[in-house]
Amino acid sequence: MSSRKVRHMITSLQTFARHAGAIAIAGVLLSGCDDGGPKIQGGTPDMRRLTEEQYHHIIEDVFGSSIRVGGRIDPLIRTDGLLALGARSARITPTGFEQYYDLAHSIADQVVNGTNRKELIPCVPAALNAPDDACAQKFFGDVGRFLYRRPLTAAELDTAVLSAHEAAVGLGSFYDGLGMSLAAMLTTPQFLFVSDTIEADPDSKGDVRLTSYAKASRLSFFLWNAAPDEELLAAAESGDLHSRSGLKKQVERMTESSRLQDGVRSFFKDMLEFELFETLEKDPMIYPAYSQALADDAMEQVLRDIVDVLLVREDDYRDLFTTRKTSVTPALARIYQIPATQPDGGWAEYEFPADDIRAGIVTRIGFTALHAHPGRSSPTLRGKALRETLLCQTVPPPPGNIDFTLFNDPNAPVKTARQRLGAHNTVPACTGCHLMTDPIGFGLENFDGIGAFRTTENDTELDVTGTIDGKDFTRPDQLATGIRDNPALASCVVRRLTAYSMGRSLTRDDGKFTRAAQQEFVDNNYNFKKLVRQIALSDALYAVRAPEPVPEPSQTVRTEPAADDRMSHSEESRS
Amino acid sequence: MKQIERGEMVNKAACRIVKVSAAAIAGIVLAGCSQSDEAGRAPSASAQSGRLGFVVRHWFTAMHETKFMDECNQGLNISNDEIWWRGLSKVDRAEKTQNGLLETLRRWQPAVRRGPNGEDVCLDPTAVTDPKFITVNGDVSYGINLDGTTDGRATPKTCAHKKFTGLNGEPAIDNQMYRLVGCTYGWRTNGIFEVNADEMRGTSGIGMILIDVTGVDDTRNDDDVTVSFYRSIDQFAQDSSGKPLPFSSYRIDTNPDGTARYGDSLKGRIENGVLKTQSGDVRLPFYGNYTFSQHIFKDMQLELKIADDGKTADGMVFGYYDVEEFIYHVTGTGVVISTAGFSCPALAAAAWELADGYPDPETGKCTMLSSAFRIDTHAAYVVKPEGVKAAL
Repeated sequence: MSSRKVRHMITSLQTFARHAGAIAIAGVLLSGCDDGGPKIQGGTPDMRRLTEEQYHHIIEDVFGSSIRVGGRIDPLIRTDGLLALGARSARITPTGFEQYYDLAHSIADQVVNGTNRKELIPCVPAALNAPDDACAQKFFGDVGRFLYRRPLTAAELDTAVLSAHEAAVGLGSFYDGLGMSLAAMLTTPQFLFVSDTIEADPDSKGDVRLTSYAKASRLSFFLWNAAPDEELLAAAESGDLHSRSGLKKQVERMTESSRLQDGVRSFFKDMLEFELFETLEKDPMIYPAYSQALADDAMEQVLRDIVDVLLVREDDYRDLFTTRKTSVTPALARIYQIPATQPDGGWAEYEFPADDIRAGIVTRIGFTALHAHPGRSSPTLRGKALRETLLCQTVPPPPGNIDFTLFNDPNAPVKTARQRLGAHNTVPACTGCHLMTDPIGFGLENFDGIGAFRTTENDTELDVTGTIDGKDFTRPDQLATGIRDNPALASCVVRRLTAYSMGRSLTRDDGKFTRAAQQEFVDNNYNFKKLVRQIALSDALYAVRAPEPVPEPSQTVRTEPAADDRMSHSEESRS
Repeated sequence: MKQIERGEMVNKAACRIVKVSAAAIAGIVLAGCSQSDEAGRAPSASAQSGRLGFVVRHWFTAMHETKFMDECNQGLNISNDEIWWRGLSKVDRAEKTQNGLLETLRRWQPAVRRGPNGEDVCLDPTAVTDPKFITVNGDVSYGINLDGTTDGRATPKTCAHKKFTGLNGEPAIDNQMYRLVGCTYGWRTNGIFEVNADEMRGTSGIGMILIDVTGVDDTRNDDDVTVSFYRSIDQFAQDSSGKPLPFSSYRIDTNPDGTARYGDSLKGRIENGVLKTQSGDVRLPFYGNYTFSQHIFKDMQLELKIADDGKTADGMVFGYYDVEEFIYHVTGTGVVISTAGFSCPALAAAAWELADGYPDPETGKCTMLSSAFRIDTHAAYVVKPEGVKAAL
């Protein structure tokens, strides 16, 4: 690493540290509303690290799609069923910061290069080889507002302009200086973390509320998985967002936007654990048709189904698990053994026949291949995924002292997964959990390790009968119906979506809201879009409680909820 | 499904449940079949009703080769390069081959331009008279009895020719194509001419033949199906090792007016998983050795054995093969000729001499060669624009 880069990293780290302790909490009192659903305490103010997707969305929104955002950032840790909740406890390691640093410089270099500067920089410097503070100020004033999701403070703007000035002098180039300062801005906590800035609640003495900008961020990241746009920032700036009508106007606008698809796709990618696709591997000797392109298509197919059912047709959420309408690419069609009408690689609509065993997203490759071993299917993994991701139930991990040779013996006289898993019945420590997973997973044994249809395994006819919470089935589409009719399905998505929107694990107190939301979801015929609106308009989404002691203004607050305050898995399942 | 031909979909009352081994076959599950068999299981996931489809991956002339080359007791043909080389003086050899440093592949152009006036003897095979082409003089061959005679005597539709015996003792086999090329390196096992052409089809996706079987009620036994042949405009879908992936979709080539560019059809039947067509005239796309041409058949018959898992089907194509088109293809392959072990003039002359089918009404000379080809296919979906129907 060059000494120049090291120096700049140190400067960036110093800036990071300075700003981390300087996120202001304003103290403006404003009135509250009464029609936002059940009141809850809310969580304590937090900072959430931008997810990789959010980072990408912001860069694209601010600088356009011509800016390539390469490289990866540290992954988040799945927490209570969602990666988004892991963002709350995500830290930036020194290595992670270096990734951000490189990413920021790559972006900044593209923004100021000869090709893009004309469009992305709103002014032309007086001289190319010297600082131009006025131009830099205009640039940072504009883009900083979107990057920080609020107007820059005077100090922040001064820092950015000064940094650009000094770098321009040192490098002998206005644009290089501007790029250096922009890169620094892209590594600040104000950009990398979404902060719950709070202010005193004017309607409730002693309480706090989110500032209008924090409220705008929460709403925007929930609905679009992106930073607030101009209109939303303007609503925040004017204070409209604190009024019921102002909030409603923004929610209506944003939920009618095509960008709602981005938000919904992000939520389900998270809920369905689609990050696993990035590391999914299959044995090419056993599954020669599997490729990364197929994995990408498999994920995209499920997301398209979700958008189609929930947003385009606005059908019952539960229909997602029985729908036969879908879209396929040639690679997917090959596995489904159906003709592709766009063999050159495009997507084409397809509807599985009414008597087909494939029904709903659980029978798609995006589920069956994702939850299987590299060389074979897995009723256990599929049953576990189904219970945990769709029904919000918890399947404990296997005890540490299990001898797996009993189940993985290649010379064992077993032909099918059902026979293999039968060995678990002889081990009491295994039986309990496998009874939760396997009877469901057996219903998907018609699909091999990459989701291709089969009726035999090792020349032995498959028995795909099973049961889900007391309902027997004999075919995968009957299992799909069993999932659809399972009461836990709807309550699970309500709780997951609520937690996702708030960016934190649910507490007992949140049950007041989720129960009401669930009832309204039922009353609205399980219309997912209405559920999204309901949450977006709720007081619960923006509820925040002051940490103890109430912080002084200009202090960042960050606390974890008490351990006993978090809803346990079993309680969550019951609610 | 919108673009998939619907007219061919069948939904006959006789439709029966497809059993386990056949259920996974693409495009074979029947429309209107009940959703489960006696055991309550689904017969299949998804499939294309009433149809079978295949893409031809390998196409080779069917060659019967014995261990000691008994079928070619005069040995193999000499190459164009060798004939050219023999005709050069020592001085010319040194001059034209850079003292022997110019390899065969790199001197193919001067080698074929050995006509008296520098003519390309492949583009003009009559420019020189080369040593007589060596042909098969064995008695055994792949093929079928195409002319219906037991002795190969002339008929209104055929010229007199010698018959072969089949590999299993079948009498009166007609296969003059084998007799013609059976003693030429380029056509024998691993011979460059056919292997190179086959590889080029595999990697380029040009000249790929699609076989579309419609009217299928039962994939193992059906006495009335229609077999249509098309050219694909899509390349082979292959796995990372280069093997074709079964159940891939291929679009047919069409004319500007939307009709199929190829599309000849034959009636056929399926017996115990073996598809057999009646005979008829068929044109097939062909590409190989840098040359675009066609297989032009009369009285063509297809025989394909469909594997139990439905992923592949291997078999034979029989019929009278157009001599002119054959010579056009062979003599147009340029550089490949240099290493394929034959002389264009000798091969062309022998082809006309051995032709045993369809005499020219004016000259009485036969214009087609009885032939047999081996083909390997993979299960495929043949995607046709709406409105394109089988010719029959």
